[in-house]
Amino acid sequence: MTRIGVYVCHCGLNIAGVVDVEKVAEYAKTLSDVVVSKHYTYMCSEPGQRMIQEDIRNKKLDRIVIATCSPRMHEETFRRAVAEGGLNPYLTEIVNLREQVSWAHTHEPEKATEKAKALVRMGVARSRLLEPLEKRRVSVEKSVLVVGGGIAGIQASLDLANAGFPVYLVEKAPSIGGRMAQLDKTFPTLDCSACILTPKMVDVVKHPNITMLTNAEVTDVKGFVGNYEVTILKKPRYVDEKKCVGCEVCAQVCPVKVPDRFNENLTQKRAISIYSTHAVPNIATINSEYCLRLKYEKGVCGKCQEACEAEAIDFEEQPKTIHVKVGGVVLAVGSEVFNALQMAELGYGRFKNVISNIEFERISDASGPTGGKILSPKNGKTPKTIVFIQCVGSRDKRFHEYCCRVGCMVTLKQAILAREKIHENVKIYVCYIDMRAFGKGYDEFYGRARDMDVDFVAGLPSEIHESTDGSLYFDVFDKGTNKLLQIRTDLVVLGTGLVPNKDLADISALLHASRSADGFLLEAHPKLRPLESAAAGVFLAGACQGPKDIPDTVAQASGAAAKALDLLSHGEIEIEPLKAIVDEDLCSGCRICASICPFLAIEMKTDIIEGKEGARAEVVEAMCQGCGLCSSACPTGAIKIQQYSSKQVMIQVDAALAESCAEGGK
Amino acid sequence: MQPWLSPVLKEENDVGLSDLMSMAKPNIEARDKILARISGKELVNCFQCIKCTSGCTALKLLELKPHEIIKLVNLGFVDELPSSDIIWTCVTCLKCVQRCPQKASPYHVIIALRNLAVEKEAKVPERYLKAVSQILETGQVDTYQKIVTRKMETVDRESLKLPKICAPKESFQVVFMKAMEEKTV
Repeated sequence: MTRIGVYVCHCGLNIAGVVDVEKVAEYAKTLSDVVVSKHYTYMCSEPGQRMIQEDIRNKKLDRIVIATCSPRMHEETFRRAVAEGGLNPYLTEIVNLREQVSWAHTHEPEKATEKAKALVRMGVARSRLLEPLEKRRVSVEKSVLVVGGGIAGIQASLDLANAGFPVYLVEKAPSIGGRMAQLDKTFPTLDCSACILTPKMVDVVKHPNITMLTNAEVTDVKGFVGNYEVTILKKPRYVDEKKCVGCEVCAQVCPVKVPDRFNENLTQKRAISIYSTHAVPNIATINSEYCLRLKYEKGVCGKCQEACEAEAIDFEEQPKTIHVKVGGVVLAVGSEVFNALQMAELGYGRFKNVISNIEFERISDASGPTGGKILSPKNGKTPKTIVFIQCVGSRDKRFHEYCCRVGCMVTLKQAILAREKIHENVKIYVCYIDMRAFGKGYDEFYGRARDMDVDFVAGLPSEIHESTDGSLYFDVFDKGTNKLLQIRTDLVVLGTGLVPNKDLADISALLHASRSADGFLLEAHPKLRPLESAAAGVFLAGACQGPKDIPDTVAQASGAAAKALDLLSHGEIEIEPLKAIVDEDLCSGCRICASICPFLAIEMKTDIIEGKEGARAEVVEAMCQGCGLCSSACPTGAIKIQQYSSKQVMIQVDAALAESCAEGGK
Repeated sequence: MQPWLSPVLKEENDVGLSDLMSMAKPNIEARDKILARISGKELVNCFQCIKCTSGCTALKLLELKPHEIIKLVNLGFVDELPSSDIIWTCVTCLKCVQRCPQKASPYHVIIALRNLAVEKEAKVPERYLKAVSQILETGQVDTYQKIVTRKMETVDRESLKLPKICAPKESFQVVFMKAMEEKTV
């Protein structure tokens, strides 16, 4: 005979404001086996938890049903409380009265109360069949994979490596540094971006705990939290990393010109070259798409090979596959800049003097195409008027609905840089919708831009035109003056926002890390677990989780590293006991479960069954995550998930239908 | 000249929008009526980026500010708008619809206001009534015109030996009137 306790939570007014909690608690008393039924303002609070624990001891309860918020929120809390009360924590059943009742049916309190009653009835029915379970303990591989070598990946790697754990840092480009390496100055302090980044890049190379894999990509991830097996593909550079000294003599003899990606294709470089002036590692790479030797046949060109004194060039180099075992993964793959070609009315791509903000960054940078002088691309002259246009591609339902979070500050910085470099000889306009300067020292920075005679126009232009001399003109209506301004300019800089990285689709599939509607990676909880992905052991750092500026990215990277440390430090972790179990007598050996298991947790073992050789499914306990796919696919019902067996689910369905059938009969 | 391009505000007893608005009070009921007409709130979901007004074809000559109209409707100042002549100045080029980053549409709001004006029997610019009668008579929005060429010759359809344009059949007028009635309901 089971003794069930039902506890209905008010959640302040979150539940009680809609659902008549008193009635629900009274109703629960009428259900069979229910010994105690109570309601309380906050069940999750200390007195609420104590109430449950005292009832377990005094009233000898052996099943606990708590009607409260989503199990995602507080199931762990209540299980812990129940365990402290002396009962197996898995004998707790959570009924969701908040997300699935009060928040969903705010305007129908009576029907909501009826639904709450039905859900409690279902919970009570299911609780009778709950089984006591023990948590599983698995060992943890004490190393971490960091994907992406931008400032987020660099910071996370350094933090983890300094704490004494081996780190594998995988970067797709031939050099680490990412987006930040392309920037000239950083807001709001106007620190030189390279000056604060390059020392960190060098630290990464020198750190004994960091294995840096550039020009490489993660191609496969197997396993589960604490025990990931990662396959990394290292693409050939066609240059021996150990022999190359970075003298770039090869680039001086190479006859093939290729667009320079680091300079946003504003300039060209050679097919063999070093990624950027401050690349780490400082090693040449051959672009196989353009190199004559690699593209055509042996014996062609080969000038770089002749010129290289270190004999570092190897046209025969093959891609290498590297396997590593890690306990956790930090995703720091960053974001991309919106391609303004999609917004035809602004003329990007058609008019040479319309550039994006990342292109302006390269033009303004001392190592960039103009040596740091701000010049109009069309005629190479210093512009007399510069116009910045905000919110290009962001806050726009045609492209990306979110605010890019950095555009306003980037424009303020670039306007200040332009003023500092061209002095009073340039007129600067910023066309904006809202100026968002929310961070520490940011609004002061906005003030500084106004002090420096930057004109702010509250309104966006509808379209940009080019006149025959290459200058641009457009009309813009200004909210402040209530006038249509007609502006003529030599340079338009588009405040293009940050958009999700194209690689995110592959990465989220590899690691089961889900994405939010905006395309960025989704955090486990928007407020309380912003550094973790919903997949256990996968942490998020930087702009792959959402658009971010450098201070926020670094903060998140250090946070994600701390989360990874928490996972690694004990050498062992507890995982949920919910796993699949196979009934060998029912298993027909059809292999459907093995083929669909996303965690590769099912193996087929051959066996002699009734004199014939056959196969049977076997669950690799440590790898099973209890997702239940196998259970729903099994044609014979041989495989089931603990706590979610067909019986345990069906009894809930019966309970749900019980009352409604009775009502129908009336 | 296209009928809708001749400056509207020069008609006698014209009332400008700012004169009407100085004493205006919001009317939420009337606002909801307009929202119902343009089916869905998204059409007025505006954050005032002013792109519509910056690019408005009717702004320079006729002082139409689509962002202002959207904001007025949003705040419920809708009683005065149908009586104002400003709503008749839109040339329906649809640039605002095309480029609005919030997928709002000043155009649809303006058309809804025009329909409201017709219903309330507020003053409809004469040119529009003329246009309607012209369609009924000739089947066309605009009459064909005589044109002076670069060589200073005056030509018309006849001199160019273009075929004559026939008047529409009577059944057209019946269908047209019926369609108009259905639309206004």
